[in-house]
Amino acid sequence: MSDSTILVGAVAYDPKAVTIWEGIREHYSDQGVAMDFVLFSNYERQVESLLQGHIDVAWNTPLAHARVRRRTQNQSVSLGMRDSDRDFRAKIVVRRAAGIKSIQDLAGRTLAVGSRDSTQARILPLQFLRKAGIDLGKLKLLAFDTDVGKHGDTGTSELEVLKALHDGRADAGAVGDLIWVLEQAAGRVDAAKVEVLWTTPPFDHCMFDAAPGAPKEKLERFQKGLFSMKWENPKHRRVLELEGLKMWMAPREEGYASLHEALDLEEKK
Amino acid sequence: MSVVAVDGGDLPLGGGLLALLRPSLSLLRPGGQLALISSAPSVAQDLPAWCRVEHHEYLGADPLPDGRASHRIVRGSLGVARAPLDGGLSLPERADPATGFAPRGAAVEPGGPVYPFTLVERDHVVPPEVGALYEQAVSSQWVAARDIPWGTVKPLPVALEQALSQTMTFLAENELSALYVPSNFLPKIHPAYAEVAMFLATQLNDESRHIEVFLRRARAGGGGLGISSVTTSQSLLSLLELRDFTEAAFLLSVLGEGTFLDLLKFVERFAPDEATLLLTQKARADESRHVHFGLAHVRHALRRDASLYGRLEAAVRRRAATMASAAGVPAPVSDALTILAAGGSDPRGVRKGHEAYRELLETMHENRMKRLEHAGFSPEQAKTLSDLHTPNFM
Repeated sequence: MSDSTILVGAVAYDPKAVTIWEGIREHYSDQGVAMDFVLFSNYERQVESLLQGHIDVAWNTPLAHARVRRRTQNQSVSLGMRDSDRDFRAKIVVRRAAGIKSIQDLAGRTLAVGSRDSTQARILPLQFLRKAGIDLGKLKLLAFDTDVGKHGDTGTSELEVLKALHDGRADAGAVGDLIWVLEQAAGRVDAAKVEVLWTTPPFDHCMFDAAPGAPKEKLERFQKGLFSMKWENPKHRRVLELEGLKMWMAPREEGYASLHEALDLEEKK
Repeated sequence: MSVVAVDGGDLPLGGGLLALLRPSLSLLRPGGQLALISSAPSVAQDLPAWCRVEHHEYLGADPLPDGRASHRIVRGSLGVARAPLDGGLSLPERADPATGFAPRGAAVEPGGPVYPFTLVERDHVVPPEVGALYEQAVSSQWVAARDIPWGTVKPLPVALEQALSQTMTFLAENELSALYVPSNFLPKIHPAYAEVAMFLATQLNDESRHIEVFLRRARAGGGGLGISSVTTSQSLLSLLELRDFTEAAFLLSVLGEGTFLDLLKFVERFAPDEATLLLTQKARADESRHVHFGLAHVRHALRRDASLYGRLEAAVRRRAATMASAAGVPAPVSDALTILAAGGSDPRGVRKGHEAYRELLETMHENRMKRLEHAGFSPEQAKTLSDLHTPNFM
C-alpha cells in the first residue's frame, strides 16, 4: 500500500464494530495519525485480503492468526493483543443433575459445543480433552454452528451451549471462560443447575497481524497509537469497554501452540 | 498491606458469592490482599477467571484443616474509586466535571463521561451564606391562594384600578425575567455545589409565585392587563443574554431586584387593599433574600478576584449602551405609579403622587449605592454604576 493511511481490517461480528472502529479511528486522528478501517463479513475473506496486500493490518481471531502464521511460514508480523486475550481458558461446565464428577465421566454423555470455527467453545476444549486422554469418539456432540465465519466472536454458540445445559438437552458443555464468568457475574447462570467441571490449560486469543514485508514505519505508527489508549481516559474507555479490554499488550506467540497442534491434527486427517 | 477475610460459605461464583466478594475488595487499596474462605469446589476454577477479567491477581488457594480452602486475591488498580474521608462535608476548591451527578462525597469510579458543567470553581459559585439562605427560603414559602386575603379586593375608581393593573403587569413581566435568567445558570453549576442550585430552585419557585399573585391582582379588578413597553423588553433581554453567572447575579439580583425592593415598598405603602398590601409585602421578603444571596455571591467573588470590579463595571456599561435609546422609566409605569400614590385622578392628589414618585427614584438611587458599597465598590464606583443602571428598574 503506497498511501500513508494505515488500513486496518476487522470483522463486523456485531453492529458495535462500527462504533468501536470509528472510536479507534478518532483516537488515531487525535494523535495526528491517518488510520482507516475496512469491515469484513468473515475472517476467511479478511485473511485473504491481508495476504494479498489490500489491508495493512488485520484484527484476527486466534484461528485467523494461526492461519496467517501457517500461510506465511511464520513470517507475518504480530503487532498487539488485548490484555483479555492472554491466558484465555475454556471451561467444561455440567448440569448438576447429570452427576458428572470428572471428565472421565463424559463418556457416553452429550457434550454441547460451539461453532466449528470457535477456538474457545469447540476447537481447543476438544483438543485439551483429547490431550487429557478422553476418547472424543465416545462423546455425543451437540454442536451449535451459529455465525460460522465469525470464529465464535458473537458468542451466540456459547450462549446456546449454556441454554442447552440449563434446559437439559446437554449433560455438559464447552464455553470460553470470559462468557462463563460474565454470564455468572450478570446473574444469568442458575448456579443450582449448572456448575463448572474442568478448566483447560491457558491459550491466547485475538491478535493484530500484518503481512510479511509490510512497511515497518507504518506498523510502528499503528502500535504507538494502539498502546497509547488508556482506561483512565473517558474517550478511550468507551472504546476499550466495547472491545472488551482494559489495556493493549505486546504480542506473544507461545499462547497459540495448542491451537497449532489442533490444526496439525486436522491437516493430517 | 491490608488483609481482609471473607467467608463465602458454599456459594458458587455465579450464585451470590460476588455480592460478598466485590464490596470487600472495594474496601482495599490496590495491592491489598483478601482471603476468601470457601467450601465450594467450583470456586477454585471460577475465581481465577473472574480475577483475570477484573484485573485482580489470583495468588492461589491454601487448604484449611476443615476441608475448606482459603483463596488469596490481590486487589488490582483499575477502576479504583475512593470516597473523600469527610463524607463530602467540605466543598472542593475546584470540581471535576467527570464526577457528573455523583453526590459530593461519593466514591466516583474513574473514567466516567465529562459533563458540560462550567461553574466549577468554589469561590466563583458558592457564597458562604448559601446554607443559611437556603434554610430561610425553605421555611418562608407561602401559598398564593391560601395566604392572601383575596376577598378584600373591592372595586376601585377606574383610573386607580388601571394604575394598579399596569403596575402589576410590569411587576409580573420583570418577575418572568427573574424566573428565566437564573434558569440559564442552574444546569451549569457543578453538582458538587448543589446547595447553590438548590437555593436558585427556591428563588425560581418564589418568582413563579410572584408572577401568579401579581397577575391575579391585575385581573381581579376586571379591567385586564396593562402595557408591556419596549424599554422593559430591551432591558430584560439584556439580562437574559448574560452568559456569566456572577455578572448575572450582579445585574439581576444586586442591581435589579435590589431596586425592586424599593418599588415593592412603594406599592405596599400606597396599596388600596389588604390583598395588595400583603402580596407585595410577602414578595418583598422573598426578593430581599434574593438580593442577599446576590450580594453575598458578588462580595465573596470580589474578595477573591480583584479583576472582577472591572468586569462588572464593563457589564453595566455594555448594558447601558444597549439601553441608550431608552428615554427613561417607561411612561405607562411612571404614570401608573404616580396615580397609585395619588390614590386616584384628583389633580391635587396627583401632585402629591408625582412628588412621591420622584422621591422613589431618589430612594432607589441612594439604596443602590449603599448596596454597591456593601458589595465592595468604592463610593465613586457605586455612584457611576447606579447612574448607569437601567431606567426599567430591573
